[in-house]
Order: sequence, then C-alpha cells, then structure tokens
Amino acid sequence: MNTILILDKDAETGLSEDLKERILRMLKEKAHRIEVVELRRNDVTPCFGCLLCLTKHVGICVTRDKIAEIRNHSNRYDMTIFLTPVVFGHFGSTIKCAIDRGCGCQNLQVMIGYGDDIDDEERSTFIDLTRKHRGAADVVHPGFDKQVDVYLTTSSEDNDAICEAFKKYF
Amino acid sequence: MKKICLINGSLRGKEASSLVFLNSINGMLPDTEFNKDIINVRARVKESYPEDTLKTISRADAIIMVFPLFTYGIPGALMRLLEDYCMYVKGHTYDKAVMVYLVVNCGFPRPEIMVELIRVIKNFCRRLSLDWRFGICMGGGPVAAMTMKVALLNMKYKRAFSAIVADIRTGDIGQKEDYFIKPLIPEPIMLWIKAQYEKKMKAGAASK
Repeated sequence: MNTILILDKDAETGLSEDLKERILRMLKEKAHRIEVVELRRNDVTPCFGCLLCLTKHVGICVTRDKIAEIRNHSNRYDMTIFLTPVVFGHFGSTIKCAIDRGCGCQNLQVMIGYGDDIDDEERSTFIDLTRKHRGAADVVHPGFDKQVDVYLTTSSEDNDAICEAFKKYF
Repeated sequence: MKKICLINGSLRGKEASSLVFLNSINGMLPDTEFNKDIINVRARVKESYPEDTLKTISRADAIIMVFPLFTYGIPGALMRLLEDYCMYVKGHTYDKAVMVYLVVNCGFPRPEIMVELIRVIKNFCRRLSLDWRFGICMGGGPVAAMTMKVALLNMKYKRAFSAIVADIRTGDIGQKEDYFIKPLIPEPIMLWIKAQYEKKMKAGAASK
C-alpha cells in the first residue's frame, strides 16, 4: 500500500510526533511505502474555489505549489493521512488548505486531530465534521471519496487506541 | 457609532457569491450610524496578518463573517485569519462582548449541511469570549446570489440580513435562532443542472 502522511510542521507537539512515529513504524513493518510531507503555513496557498479541478482541468489544480504536487498525483496513493492540530474543533489552516485543494486520495483518507487543550464540544465538532459529511455520508459529491475516517488524540492512551485501530487498514 | 467589521472569507474576488451577500449587508448598515471596515482574506500571508488588520477586528462591536463553505468547514484562508486573530488576542485584552454573526453559503441546495460549521464558529467565540449571535446558512450559492438582485424573490435573504442589523442596533442579549435558507429552485432541478454542467465541462476537457 502506498501511503502519504501530510502534517503541519509549525504545529508539531510531542503528542503528534509520537503518533506520527508509531504510524510510520507500523507501516514500515508491514512493508508499505510511505511518504511524509511536512507543510508549513507559509508554504501553502488556499483553494480559490475556481472549480477548474472539477470541470475544465479535471484532477489538476491550477495553483502551482507544494500542495499541487501532492494533489495532482493524489491517486497514486492508496491512503492519505492528514495529521492536524484541532483548532476550535476544526482542522488547522495549513492542513485545511491541503484538504480544500483535494490532496486526499479517493480510496481512503484518515483524518487525525490532536491537541492538549480540546474541550468536549470541540472534540465532538471535529469528529462530526468528517463523520457526518465525508466519505459515504457526502451528499455534495457522493461517491467521490470512498472512505474517510476520523480520529482524535489528546493523550498517549488515545495514540495507543489509534494505532490499534490502524491495524484494520493493513 | 458602533464599529462593524465585515470579513470577506472568499478568494474569488468579484465572482464570489459571498461578495454579493456582503455588499447587501453593507448596504443595510448606514454610514451615518455605523463605522464599517471590510477585511478580505488573503491567499498569501507572510508570517501573520498585519497587526492593523487584527486590531481592526479587535476594536469592532460586531463582526460579520461572510464566506463560502469549503469541504463542510471554514475555507483555509479564513481559518488562517482566525488563527492569527486568536494569537493576537492572547497578547492583548479587551473588555467588551463583541457580537459575532455568520453568513455562509454553499452551492449545494441543502443549507443544513452547514450545521457543523456553525458549531466551529461557536467554539471560536467561546474560546475568545466573543458573543455568538446567530448564523445565516444559504444553499444554492450562485442561485442565491442571483436571487439577491431580484426584488420580491430576495425577501427571505433580506429579512435574514435585516435581522443582523436589528440585532446589532438593539444589542439584544438573547441569542436568536440560526437561519437556514434554501434556494428558490427545487433541489432535484438544481442537482440536474449541476450534473449537466459537470458533464459538459468534463466532455470539453476530454476532447482537448
């Protein structure tokens, strides 16, 4: 399986680094190919909403940057993992730019949020943003993304649980 | 005079449906009564939004965010502004309850898909001790934008936008219900139009 892991370099924490290393280790043990992309907020250009990637230049983003390199080849991957800080129960801006620009592969996307200070409503909001609207629940572009899963970690125990859940992808 | 900060969260410039809605609300806020600033999100921000921009937001009595739904959430560009504002506010103090309103649109006809987005903005308000008021969620973005220009057909939108203006005027402390406005064209027709448009564009792309 070819996997790409996209993370926010500016928002790294001990928790996110621990989870990232554990996921990488798991994937390598199973002889999966993994590419890690570390995005910084000044590297990314947001989506302009021109819709050309869905209409005139299907699958191609007209903005040429690091995100476009991922986006224009997103279907060479079997799984895309987005590792994002949870901000107000939402994706951090850097990762949200990558999501908006269509960096996720259509087969399987895994959204993992992390943070040390996330209240219950933020946790619930972050989970619901994906669970209620993406993958099989997507009504705007039905069938576009086959499977989109979401996890959230605030502790090393949560990291353990996520790694355990990851076994189903192998 | 009350200070109003209108935030345009769309990067589509003059093509943006959000701009139509923002201009409509702006037109309902008389210059004789309100001091208004419009902030447009940027595609490229070096390090952080300028302090002047963040100070303008912090001095507002009311913030009205107008933007399109992106992947069921906040557009990345606007999220960047909110993050920078959050960092700015941590270093500064202010003692007034700033009222926050949301006006969000999406191309899809069902406005209820924006419920989680409202929750995100509520979380933002709670974190920054802002006074969340209510949101206006509009389906069928471009259709809604065209409808704005037609008298009688635009009444639902005008009524909702007027509610923002009235709420700012009265400084009402009771939270109001959110508005969910469907487009005038029935959903099956809108979805059919969308499918035809996408088919045509893809056929055009394939023939090149």
